[in-house]
Order: sequence, then structure tokens, then C-alpha cells
Amino acid sequence: MLQLFRTQRMWRRHELKDRYDVVIIGAGVHGLATAYYLGKLGIKNVAVLDRGYLGGGNSGRNTAILRANYRTPEAIPFYAESLRLYQELSQEVDFNVLFSQVGHLTLAHTDTGVDGLRVRAEANALLDVNSRLIFPEEIKRLVPALDVSKAAHAPIQAALYHPPGGIIRHDAVVWGYARGADRLGIEIHPHTEVQAIDTDNGQISAVHTSRGRIATNLVVNATSGWCSTVARMVDVDLPIVSHPLQACVTEPVKPFLDKVIVSATLHVYVNQTDRGEVVIGAEIDPYASYNSASTLPTLEMMAAHALELFPILEEARVLRQWSGICDMTPDFSPIISTVPEVKGFILNVGWGTYGFKAGPAGGKTVAEMIVTHKTPTLIEPFALSRFYEDRLVGEKAAAAVSH
Amino acid sequence: MSTTRLPPHPAQVIDHEHPLSFTFAGERIPARAGDTIASALYAAGQRTFSRSFKYHRRRGLLCGAGQCPNCLMNVDGTPSVRTCTEPVRQGMRVQPQNVWPSLKHDLLSIIDRFDWLLPVGFYYKTFIRPRFLWPLAEKVLRRAAGLGVINTQAEPKGGYDHQYRHTDIAVIGGGPAGLAAACEAASLGCQVTLIDAQPELGGHLRFQTRTYADIGERSGLTGFELARSLREKVTAQPNIDILSSATVFGSYEGGLLGVMQAKRLIHLRAKRVVITTGSHEYPAVFQNNDLPGVMLGSGARRLLHLYGVQPGTRAVVVSHDETGLTLASELLTAGIQVAAVVDSRYRLPEAQDCVQQLHRSGVEVLTSYAIQEAHGTAHVDGALVVPLDARQRPFPHASRFIPCDLICLSTDRAPATALVAQSGGELHYDETLGQTVPQQLPPQVFCAGDVTGIHHLPATLVQGRLAGFQAAQSLHAADTSAPSSHIQALQQELDTLEQEYRHHYEPYPQLSHVWEKKKQFVCVCEDITHKDLAQGVAEGFDEVETLKRYSTFSMGPCQGRMCATSSARLCARYAGSELATRTTTARPPVTPVPLGVLAGRRPQPEKHTPLHHRHIALGAEMMLLGSWKRPYAYTTPDEEHRTVRERVGLIDVSTLGKLEVRGKDAARLLDTVYTHTFSTLRVGRIRYGLMCDDSGIIIDDGTVSRLADDHFFLTTTTGNVEFVEQWLKWWMAGADLCAHVTSMTGGLAAMNIAGPNARQVLSQLTDTDLSAEAFPYMACRRATVAGAPALLLRIGFVGETGWEIHVPAECGEQVWDAIMTAGAEFQIVPFGVGAQRILRLEKKHVIVGQDTDALSNPLEADLEWVVKFNKDDFIGKRGLQAIQERGRRHKLIGFALRDSSRAEGGQAVVVNGQPAGRVASAAFSPTAGKCVGLAWVPVEVASGTSPLQIRINGTVAQADIIDDAFYDPQGERLRS
Repeated sequence: MLQLFRTQRMWRRHELKDRYDVVIIGAGVHGLATAYYLGKLGIKNVAVLDRGYLGGGNSGRNTAILRANYRTPEAIPFYAESLRLYQELSQEVDFNVLFSQVGHLTLAHTDTGVDGLRVRAEANALLDVNSRLIFPEEIKRLVPALDVSKAAHAPIQAALYHPPGGIIRHDAVVWGYARGADRLGIEIHPHTEVQAIDTDNGQISAVHTSRGRIATNLVVNATSGWCSTVARMVDVDLPIVSHPLQACVTEPVKPFLDKVIVSATLHVYVNQTDRGEVVIGAEIDPYASYNSASTLPTLEMMAAHALELFPILEEARVLRQWSGICDMTPDFSPIISTVPEVKGFILNVGWGTYGFKAGPAGGKTVAEMIVTHKTPTLIEPFALSRFYEDRLVGEKAAAAVSH
Repeated sequence: MSTTRLPPHPAQVIDHEHPLSFTFAGERIPARAGDTIASALYAAGQRTFSRSFKYHRRRGLLCGAGQCPNCLMNVDGTPSVRTCTEPVRQGMRVQPQNVWPSLKHDLLSIIDRFDWLLPVGFYYKTFIRPRFLWPLAEKVLRRAAGLGVINTQAEPKGGYDHQYRHTDIAVIGGGPAGLAAACEAASLGCQVTLIDAQPELGGHLRFQTRTYADIGERSGLTGFELARSLREKVTAQPNIDILSSATVFGSYEGGLLGVMQAKRLIHLRAKRVVITTGSHEYPAVFQNNDLPGVMLGSGARRLLHLYGVQPGTRAVVVSHDETGLTLASELLTAGIQVAAVVDSRYRLPEAQDCVQQLHRSGVEVLTSYAIQEAHGTAHVDGALVVPLDARQRPFPHASRFIPCDLICLSTDRAPATALVAQSGGELHYDETLGQTVPQQLPPQVFCAGDVTGIHHLPATLVQGRLAGFQAAQSLHAADTSAPSSHIQALQQELDTLEQEYRHHYEPYPQLSHVWEKKKQFVCVCEDITHKDLAQGVAEGFDEVETLKRYSTFSMGPCQGRMCATSSARLCARYAGSELATRTTTARPPVTPVPLGVLAGRRPQPEKHTPLHHRHIALGAEMMLLGSWKRPYAYTTPDEEHRTVRERVGLIDVSTLGKLEVRGKDAARLLDTVYTHTFSTLRVGRIRYGLMCDDSGIIIDDGTVSRLADDHFFLTTTTGNVEFVEQWLKWWMAGADLCAHVTSMTGGLAAMNIAGPNARQVLSQLTDTDLSAEAFPYMACRRATVAGAPALLLRIGFVGETGWEIHVPAECGEQVWDAIMTAGAEFQIVPFGVGAQRILRLEKKHVIVGQDTDALSNPLEADLEWVVKFNKDDFIGKRGLQAIQERGRRHKLIGFALRDSSRAEGGQAVVVNGQPAGRVASAAFSPTAGKCVGLAWVPVEVASGTSPLQIRINGTVAQADIIDDAFYDPQGERLRS
């Protein structure tokens, strides 16, 4: 409370040093969380680099939905841990990240859709994640504004209700971790673009940036949107295709919706922020691209699908649309891994459309991996080697819309 | 406090003879045809139009042009309507929003006193401990946030529409620059579409009553007369399409413009785009600059000239250029007392008419002065003005109080560059002009007028002509006859005008200081003050992008129109870095667009089979499968199931995807896309076909019948036919094969007759020999059924003797009726999807998409018998080989529950308390007398001896793994 009347820089500016123990590329939620947990584990000679401003990539472009109701036994414990860390984050970093744990509903409009939700509900129940299948009557009670009538074009048959899910202020998470890392003595360098990475006998030796060369033996690639281009700097090819994903937001209206609503069939998700804006997100664009310009057809589709769920929103006006670039892996799961061919190069990438949900757990496990030189059990299934051993994670089956 | 209207004037858009009325907060308000809601309210004496977002401060009319958030109201149930541009309709009901209990007495305005508790980003720093505090605080904050109310009980109004248009040149903005550009381009033979947000062309000239002297042949005309003259010229041009009251809300890739015209969205594709969107004024930052009575000069002008409403009785005009001075003289002419003109310049151009008129009228003209504070509680009652020194620094102790009820700000102006940026143009901050202006334009984009930062009519008109000419010329690149000398002449003329303008231009000084006591608003939408921004920068948010996200400036309904420049300047002042002067990304839409407009009409086609009316007549319970309506059951699935097993049933399967593949390479094509081999299939025979993608994942299945050497008939799953058709064509082109794929889905009605008596029924209707010897299982024949030409396929999805009968759609009902009549003696019944699901499950027949998902391959789905590794190559071969080498991990198995419980699709197969597999489908089998189903399980479980554990409603039920079909495992009934 006292900090309300104190003016303190959230993070300080620094000259770039010529050597760091760890260089983290990407000052988004994963990079900053990694830095923060590294600092907590005692590694403080760390630089977080970003080519733009803090949280300017996908950490500031996602729709800030958090949940742990995944489908596979590999993903569920990981995202559950992330959700747990998010629940404690405000106290952890002493900065209110505005987590609205209001509940999350994934809708099914078809018989197969219901079965798919049941798979998740059952797996969640077995792994202690609170989610269950509910039916139109209860859905209507939770979300009175939703059109659950049989007359709807795609009548809602059931929903997976996940009470611990919700939305968070994504920028606040980034700032909170940044401030936490800064207080631990870690340097954050926005507007410092990595241009090349040197290796020496298969070992990382230096990073060349727009502000000069840094010697280091450990680089974490925590970028999103362009992670494969960074990996290519050390000749690592990632099985990743990048697609734009678009979202839009309306003018603020008085609260009418306090749950997160996701529909895989309609490729849309809707929630209302504390400010009153209605946030609407789409599925990834069907084509691969690094172009983050918004498009009109996607905006129209988002509007149409949102109105199928909430016909009463027809006069709500869209204020902004934007897009981010999602790094999609073949199994809709991340790559958190060392790379056998390049010592000292750690990947925390391939976050597709689910990266923000995983920020704290991603950062924490990577920090542990750096400190202990061992892969934490939680992220073993997400090793890069799974693509060579054909041990893919089964999330793709669940991920028609993965929000 | 209502004001009488000024006498009629040619610039006015209201009809004095045509009174209207509407209600505002229940009170009847008189208006005239042509009025906006705001102009009528203003004339009726209303001064407070809304309450602000955070502090609930009174807000009055500011821009009068739909640019700011101050006049948002609920109109006939629609929230957040810009009432200053919304025309009055008789009887409309207008309500203020975000106030409690009323606009006049809003109790939440108490927040304004507690602002010290609510500094920028206060919510990030409070309610942290204990943890339960935040959810409680959030509820309160949530309720306080938001503006308009969405009526959740209302019926959607609809009436939206999409339109698609093409044009050579789109001119965006119908002001003087746009009109000049459109005329020029049209005169060179181009098809021009002129899009203007106002109901009438002319831009700001429509409400200019001053006379322009230096505009060539039209010199001597007043602004509105010039507007009329240009308008007449444009409307006379046959190749100019005019879209009035239409807003371009976004410029997208490939010259696509999103245009909103009332409830219509127009996709306009333009080869060239001329952006003449003009500029808008925004308020200077000073104390209490949000008080009702503080109005932008252009807003006052609009009220005065368009609607004949006096914006006040005693005005102070704050100015820094000719625009402000002429406004003062126009106010005088309209009978408004001008208490003072406060101009930041040291010396005024004495030669100008307006200056002389001001002197003649004895108006006090204060040069080297600026405004420091608006004074008043509910409304302006005076202005505190302050003298400036030679370096434009104020002497606060020498400030003067001037009583007035209106402060007109003609201080700051921002070009409307959002579309320029979206079109790929680069912007930069021009120090001389104090504005962000276009710097570099892509080759297909042109700019003219105020949007370039030059607010000077003679220059605007030349810029317009130049842009129009260049746009047209660039379209006819081959035609070099167009004189480049013309361009040179225009360019020269423009350069001179621009130089002169820049030479005399002095931006209004930025005087605001953080220590000043009263609130100085930068962003009126979000109630962000100077102090908030200074605080934000001090906390480390020292570039506009982060400062914006932290303070939320520019994120409100005006989308930064009122605050983008001020906030960037302040950010730069405190951060001292160049990065700070960049403006934030101009994302579409430029103006807020209702979701309904974007969504359009949204037709939801529903597909009906040729037999649809028979199902309705039979009272079937219908269900939606994809976009098809299909009968779920006519009676009950169980009863229909029994009839099929014991007697005979008929099902409509017209929704099946039906494709004909013909050509010399037809067999090779099918060998490529299916895992099975079809080149060896004999004519008149059928084979089951399975398609995989490259990695061996199942994507579709169906039957393939060979009708002739080069002619196959394929069925696909219902939802996948378009995909399969494209998939076949894609591989045909890729593999250079010669064949044709024709979709027959809509052209054929299909039904399946099945059951022990199927043969007796069908043989009454055809001469074809249906005996098991002549027409064996998996054979196909052309035949005549009930007089209709038919294709008969002897297959058995449901596990009984049966035929799939394909007839032309128009014969469907005739054949259906004939079968039902012929079957009457066997008590034939129609059966629906419900019964079919049980029947097929008893036969362990897989439904692609139900039992398989994005990870299922045929080797694990127990469909290995369809995969022919011995053929050359097929799509998915390598993927499947890899799976074979690494070994199967899962298996799709059949199971039967031991007890009487019922399993459902999606339930977990549990191993050691962990989810290890899932039920794919399950149903109660009347034949087996228990629940049977298909489930995905790990291979160890599949080959193990222990019973399967399935989690049903929280408890674990035991099931036996069943290798064979539950019903007729040898297929004897099928073949008989």
C-alpha cells in the first residue's frame, strides 16, 4: 500500500557489460520469469535483452486467459503448476497482477465436441485440476448473456467449466517480473537486438547485439514469434511454423460477462476485462506469416462468431484489432530443452497460442535447469528430442482452439 | 438557459420550419430537422453531456465532430453513441450513461476528491495482501468501470449488410483537398470513389463563413460557398462515385479499405488511395481543461454555423493562428460577446481582415498570452490567462482572470494520419509544426490537405490537385503524354505556399507543469492527467508504448485522437529520449465499428436432403450434423435398432459425400491418396478406402466402387467431402495425373435398406437379380429401382444384408415411398442416426472424426488391413512405416462393460489412477445386453489380461476387451 505514494523506477537502465553469466533473449513473460527465478536461485549476473520494449511481443498481444484444463497427462501438471504460481504472483513480486480468477468455460456444440471435453474433464479430475462438464441449464446460470437456445445456429450442448481459470493483466505480469528481477540485481536491456550468436567448439561463447558484443557461455532463447530465426543463429532448425493470430477489443461497457468463454467450433473466445472492454480472439490465421498486420476478413469472422454466442453485442463497437505471431509446433506443445549440438543454448520456445499461460512455470523450470544442469520432471515431455523419437505430446487433439 | 437559434443562414443544415422532438433523460427536447442530438440539447440549454470515466467529472461538448468521448450517450438502447454527429429522429429516447443517479448529481463524482488515493496505476500497487482482498476490490472496480450498458434482454436488431466494390482511385475525405483530388483524377479518366464521413461534401469549409482571398479563380467566395462550388463540380463528374456518411475505418493489405456506411460494410478495393482525411483539433493541456464550457474552436464553429446555436454568451478565444482569430470575429458577427482573444504569438498579422474587425469591435486582444486555467465548478465562469516571455515561458504571477462562459481552444491540431500509417506510410514528428505528419508514402498512396500538417486552404487545394493528378498518372504508367511540366508547376506553387506557411507558423506553447494544483487532462477518455504521465515516466515507463499500457492513455473511445500528441510530447519531456516522441501504432479500426456491421448478415445455411420432407411428415426428431439436418430417430433408437436386426429398416444416407472420379489415371490417383489398392479392384466391386495425411494420420474414409475401368464412385464422410474433393484435385495436379473429380453429393439421394428382409423388399422394385450369388457382398450394379435409374452398392455399415441405393435427387422421394410401400408387409420402418450409431458400434465399425482424432493412425486404429505397404507409394506411407518401425503405442479396442453402467465417449481409461486412454464411443447394445464401445488404450493394456478400468461418474467400472465384433463376428448375416 505504501508504494502507492512512492515513486520508484520499476527497472533501472544500465550500460551493457561485456560479460554475463546468462543472456536471456526476449523480455517477455518467459524471459523475465526465467531471470526472476534465476535471481532467486542466486544467479544474478544475468542480462535480459529485447529488441523492442518490455512485453511488446506476444506477452502484450495475447488475450491474457489463464487455465490448466489441458488434455494430456504431460501438459496438465505443467499448466497447473503455472496457474498455482500465477495465483501467488501478486504477493511474490509485490505487484498486483490483477488476476481475475472468475472461471473459464469451453463450449461444445457437437457430440464429438462434448466427448472431447469429457476427455479433458476426466483427465483433469484424475490429476487434481478443477474442471467438470456442465450442461446448458448451468451454463445459462453462470453466463446469462450467452445464447444457449436450441435455435442458435450452433446450439451449445455442454461446456467444460474450469473455475480456477480466468484472466490476468498481462502487462502487469511482465512488469512485476521485471521489477522483481531488477530488485534481485538482474539487468534488463530493452531496445537491444541480438544480431548473431557465436559458438566455439559447439559451446556458446558470445552474443552480438545492436549495442555491442557480450561474452557469455549460456544463452536462453525465450523469444516468441521469431524463435526459429534466433535458433538459426546457432544452426539449430526448429520444427516450428509461425502463424499470425488476431484479436480485437470493444469499447468499454458495463459488466455483463464475468467468465471466459471459448468455443472451438466457432473458433472464437470472448471475455470482458475489468475495464469493461470485451476482448474477442480468433483461431490462428490459416497461413504461415511473420506479417503482424491485421486483416479485415478475420475481424469480420471474429465479430460473426462472437455474435453467435452473444447476439446482444451487435452494437458493441470494436476499438482495436491486433495480431501476434504464434510459433506452432506439430504437437501444439512447447519446446523447453537443451540442445545436444550446441552447449549452453537453452530453448524456451514454441509457445504457439498457450505461452502466456505457462510463463511462470516455463521461467521457473528453465531457471532450475540452468542451476541444477538437470531437466526438471515437469518439462521432460517437452524436450526437443521428442520430434526425433516420435514422442509427441497429444495436445493437438484438444487444440482446435487452444485458449 | 436555453438559447434562441440564430436566424437562417445558407451554411446551416437545419430546417427551421421542420420541428422535431425527442426525450433526454425523460425530458422532452425540441429540435429541428438537421439537428444532431447534441446540437438540439445544447440549444435547449444542456451543458453537461457526460460524466468522465474515472473521476465522474462533468464533461461538456468538446469537438462537435464525433472525435472525443464527451457526448457519448445511450440512444434507443444503443450504448456510447456519439450524439454530436447522430441526427435527431422524431421520438428517439436518449439517456446519459455511466452516471448514478443522474447526470446532474452523480454521486460517484466523489472520486474526484479522492484522486490522491488513485494515482496512475494505483490498482497495481494495492489490494495485494491478504490475497482475498483483490477479488473483493475487483468487484467494486469492475462495477465502476465501463461506459454504456448492453441490454442483455434486447432482441438483436439486425439489418446489417456487406458490399464489395472496386475502384481505380479511392479518395478518403470529402474536404477541399479530397474534392480537388477527385476532380483532378476524374478529369484524367479514372474511376474515382470519394468517401466522406459527413452527410454533405465540403469538409470544414461547410462551416466556414469567412471569405477566402487567395485561392485563384474562386477567390472572394466564403468557405461554405466554395464547398458548394466544389461539390457541384464533383457531383457533375459521372466517373466519381460518392459515398457520403461513410467512414473508412481501416486500410488493409492490397488496397483493401474497410468502409462503414450506417449498417453497411463496404469492402472497397482501390488501385490507388488518396488520403485527404484532414486534421482535428485537440485541447491544450491546462488546469481544468475538461470543464464544460471549454470547447474546441471547430466545435464552436459547427454549433454556430451548421446548427445556428450560440455556443456561449461571452467567450475567450485561445489562439495561435489565423483560425482562432477568424473564429473570434465569427463569434462577434453572431452576436456573441468576445471577452478576449488570447494569442500566443508576439505579433499578429495586422493586415488580416479578422484582426482589423477585432480591433474595430474593441475586443481585447492579448498577444504573448496563453491560457492557464479554466475557472468554474459545474461550468466555466472565467479563464485565467497568463503572459509569456520572449521564450514563451509564462509569468504565473501576472496572470489575469477574465469572466466568461465559453473558452474556445484553437490551439492544437493533429493530422488524421492513422490511415496513412495503416497503408504503409511512415510518420515523423515535425518540430516546426508540432505535429506528427506523413514522411514516406508507398507508391500507391498519396496525401493532400491538412493530413500533411499544412492547414492552409490555398496549399490544400494545390495539394489536392497534385495528389489527384499523380494518382491518376501512376495508373497510366504507359501513357507518358501526361505533361510532367504540369506536376512541376503544381509542385513549385505548393513549395512556395508551404514555405511561407511554415515560416509564419508558431505552434501553441506547451505550458503545462506538473506542480500545478488542478487537474490538467491529457486523455479525456480515460481521465489521464499530466501528473499521471509524469509519474508513469518516473516509474520507468519512459517510452510511449509502455507509458500507454501503464497509464491507459489513448486506449479509450477516442483512440488517441485527443491525446496522442500531447502525451508523446510529455513523455519526451520527462524521459528525455527520442524514442518517446514516436506515436503508438495506429491499429484499425480508425473509428469504432459495431460488431454487427463487421459480422454482416450472417446467413447460416442449413442443408436438407432430398428426403427431408418425408422425415418431417414422419415426425422425425431432427438433429444438426455439420450443416446437415438429419433424422435422429422417428420413434426410439432402440426400437429402430430392433427392427433392423429382426426385419428391415430404411435410412436416408444422402448426406454422404459422393464423388465420381473418371479418367485414364483414375485408378492411379486413388492408389496414391488411399492406403488401399484400387487399380486391382474389379469392375462391379467395392472396396473400403482410408485416407491418411503425410504423417499417416487418418483424414477420411469411405467406399470406392469401380463402375468401369476408368470410372470410380467414391463416398466420403459427411463433413469432409469438400476437403476430399480438393485433396484429390491437389494430388492429381501434383502427380500430373489425368482424371476428373465431380461432386455428386447434392445430385444424388441415397438410402440404405438393411435387415434380414431387405432382399425381399428391394426385389419387388427392381428386375436386377439380388441373390447372394448374383449380387454378392461388396458388389455394385447399375439398376432400375422403382422406375428410377439407380446405383446399388451392397455394403453393410449396420451389419445386415443391405443395399445403399443412389438415385437422382429428384427421384429420391419416389424411391423412398416405393420402398416403404413394398416393405409394408415386412413392417419396414425408417431409422435414424441414433439407431445407426448403435448398429455400427455392434459391428465395431469406426467413424472417422468420432473414434479418430488428429493423432490417430490406421495401424493403431485396428485398420492395418487397409494399409498396403506393398504398393509403390501412397500418401502417408513413410509416416506409417515410421510408426511400424517404432512400434505401436496405442490401440483402438472394443470393450464391453461388465456391470450395468453406461459409458460415454470421452471417459478415461485408467491405469494406476492415471488417465491412460479414453472411450471413443459407447452405447448400450440391445444385442449384447450391455454397454459396448470402442476405446483407445496403451498397447500393454490392449494385450494384457486384466480387465479394462473405465472411470464413469467418478467411479471405476470394469470392462472386458473384445477383439471381434459384438454382433455377427463372422459377417454371415452381412453376406447372406
